[in-house]
Amino acid sequence: MMSGMDSGPDHNSENGSTASQPGNPCVFYDGTSSRRHEVRLELKDHLAINENDTTLATWPFADIRRADSASGMLRLSCVTAPSLARLEIRDASIAAALTARCPHLNDGAAGRHGIAAIVGWSVAATISIVAVIWFGLPLAADRLASLVPNALERRIGDAAEGQIRGIFGGKTCNNASGRAAFDKLMKEIGTAAGIDTPVRAAVLETPVPNAFALPGGKVYLFSGLLAKADNPDEIAGVLAHELGHVRHRDNTRNMIYSGGTSFLIGLLFGDVTGSGALIFASRSLVTASYSRDAEQAADEFSIDVMHRLGRPTKPMGDLIFRITGSQADKTVSILSNHPLTEDRLKRLTDEDRPASGPPLLTAEEWASLKAICIASKGPTTPGDH
Amino acid sequence: MNQMTSVPLHPPPIPGEVSFSGDRDEFRGLVERGAGLELVTFGFYRFWLATDIRRHLWSHTSVDGDAPEYTGRGRELLIGFLFALAILVPIYLAYFIIGIEAERYKAFASFPLFLFFYLFGQFAIYRARRYRLTRTVWRGVRFWMDGSGWAYAARAAAWTLLTVLTLGAVLPWREAALERYKMQHCHYGDLPGRFEGRGSELFKRGWRLWLAAAFPVIVAILAALVGRIGGLPPGGSSIVGLLSLIWVFALPFIYGAFKAIEWRWWISGIRFGEVSFQSDLSGDALYGLYWKVIGWFLLILSLFVIYLITCSWWILGFTDMVHLASRLQGSFAITAAAVVGYLGFILAMNVVLRVYLLRDLWARVAASTAAFRLEAAANVAAKGELANALGEGLAGGLDVVGF
Repeated sequence: MMSGMDSGPDHNSENGSTASQPGNPCVFYDGTSSRRHEVRLELKDHLAINENDTTLATWPFADIRRADSASGMLRLSCVTAPSLARLEIRDASIAAALTARCPHLNDGAAGRHGIAAIVGWSVAATISIVAVIWFGLPLAADRLASLVPNALERRIGDAAEGQIRGIFGGKTCNNASGRAAFDKLMKEIGTAAGIDTPVRAAVLETPVPNAFALPGGKVYLFSGLLAKADNPDEIAGVLAHELGHVRHRDNTRNMIYSGGTSFLIGLLFGDVTGSGALIFASRSLVTASYSRDAEQAADEFSIDVMHRLGRPTKPMGDLIFRITGSQADKTVSILSNHPLTEDRLKRLTDEDRPASGPPLLTAEEWASLKAICIASKGPTTPGDH
Repeated sequence: MNQMTSVPLHPPPIPGEVSFSGDRDEFRGLVERGAGLELVTFGFYRFWLATDIRRHLWSHTSVDGDAPEYTGRGRELLIGFLFALAILVPIYLAYFIIGIEAERYKAFASFPLFLFFYLFGQFAIYRARRYRLTRTVWRGVRFWMDGSGWAYAARAAAWTLLTVLTLGAVLPWREAALERYKMQHCHYGDLPGRFEGRGSELFKRGWRLWLAAAFPVIVAILAALVGRIGGLPPGGSSIVGLLSLIWVFALPFIYGAFKAIEWRWWISGIRFGEVSFQSDLSGDALYGLYWKVIGWFLLILSLFVIYLITCSWWILGFTDMVHLASRLQGSFAITAAAVVGYLGFILAMNVVLRVYLLRDLWARVAASTAAFRLEAAANVAAKGELANALGEGLAGGLDVVGF
């Protein structure tokens, strides 16, 4: 065939008339049909692709590009030819002679993406996403939370309430005398906290020792926590803490923040993880510090309320310690939402002042509150659903 | 056909060979390097890695001596992903708000919204195949695909519902119907594709496996019946336990056998004009792959656990084991170490999955395949337009797999 620029037709006829021979190393597809053309190549000031005596195509060397193929075969395309026209060369010496003449052979070839550019842009994108998570989102959550209308917040709360009841069995405790004591406690705390609208609150019957506030300002106390409590001050501190969350609209802020965070982290990792586990882990990592701040602010609020009521703040710390202290041996919750850090406990102890106000509940009322979930199958109708 | 012989009128067609010549070490190097780059680029390299993997698989698979060319680019996948985000973000927001409204009326009432995402996922699968097909060029002519992704998604959803209702009994017919729709809209140049595999055929070959996979359900029903009549015989519970153990160990075999049957059935049903394909993949061809993946998974998992334990000891010290759990709480260093370890775990698993369940599976399936009547594709006129990578982006964003 050809071994160089000057290889003329006479050369070709020597070993180039093998067009029909199965071993012909040059095959051409013209890009308009799948017909296989066994061709001879002529290297002049351009590449001529000949089948028998007809020239099928002429490709300027500068327009020839490498197309993707396995090693052992050179596959070429031409930017000025039909986009799928392909020349396949299975002979190393012919390939070498031709490629030596093509100055732009590897322009834009597959697999030649600049790794450095991809890495650089990825790192830049990641830094910007992390910056948004770290600085932008908390700011946005703070601003947006106050813009969310109360009605919407309440709706979200109602939706969450339905799910929580679904999970925990959903029985509210409504023993009449217990309810009266609970309402009294809530009212005292609410007044001291300066919340004029009546706070919706209820005791939910479940052994889990917990309490939480829902968006829209509904506070739930679990009977499991009540059972572990030794005096009204412990419960009052916890309820004031939850009211602090309501006051600060922590739920809404948290929702905006964690929603935004999971979205952005998901954007970052995409399907590398194959699951949401990594997204969950990194989100927890980021939100943990965020919610720690919120917990501290709620503690502040609780301390403030208890001071105003003239009641000690230490009991709340005692209660939480009693629960997490015993729980910690069993469960390894690396990222607890209510982490009882040493400084939290210390702060509650430091701010502790001897009781100056009247007890929040009488001994009798406290006993009824503790018994709020013991069914009063008499006059009261159970639950509101 | 010169003499009268007992041979049937049609001469036995000369099969066009399908073979895979890719070097395994080269592929492993490719995906290992890709995993490393995914780590460095926080996952963004996945678009280029997917492209490189396809280029490797396509270019080393030869059909009748000629390998197809994959003309897709990583950049296209990135753009498809960004477009998918632009579509999915408002939908997620709308989903959130509708979900709140629905939940207000009844807890968990928003569940039907999952149906919507399922439809989107199926749409993505259809469009992703379309992208891959239009980036596949064989002998200078590209494959392409028309039809509607939404029509496909509606069919897929209806069939899935039926499959769930019949405990999987209609799965073969579902696969046949969906593949028929997809293949009807596939073309090679002006050569139209179709699918001739029948659901009943797949059912005939696979119903025993279906029974085997559903074995625990059957046992549970039987046990309930026996329990109602007169309680388990003595030692009955240990027999049940033994059977469950056997079943767990049989699962990879069941799955491997099913996959082999499915591949063979699928390939043998594909037609492009007169061109047909045949696969003789044997039923036990894939067991080894699944067991190797399980072995690697257990190994990598153990390494991950050892790493986690070592990290917590190293960071928290070896003493005071009593309060270890409470001290683990909220420890930033521990969580960061766990995230790093988890990333390593995932990336290592990705390499394993890509080597065994992508490359090795591909190689075995290709080696089992032959093409017939390829002369019908000898002079096919080029036709068809390129499709965008939106489907690929959506499939990535919704975490759906399929092709």
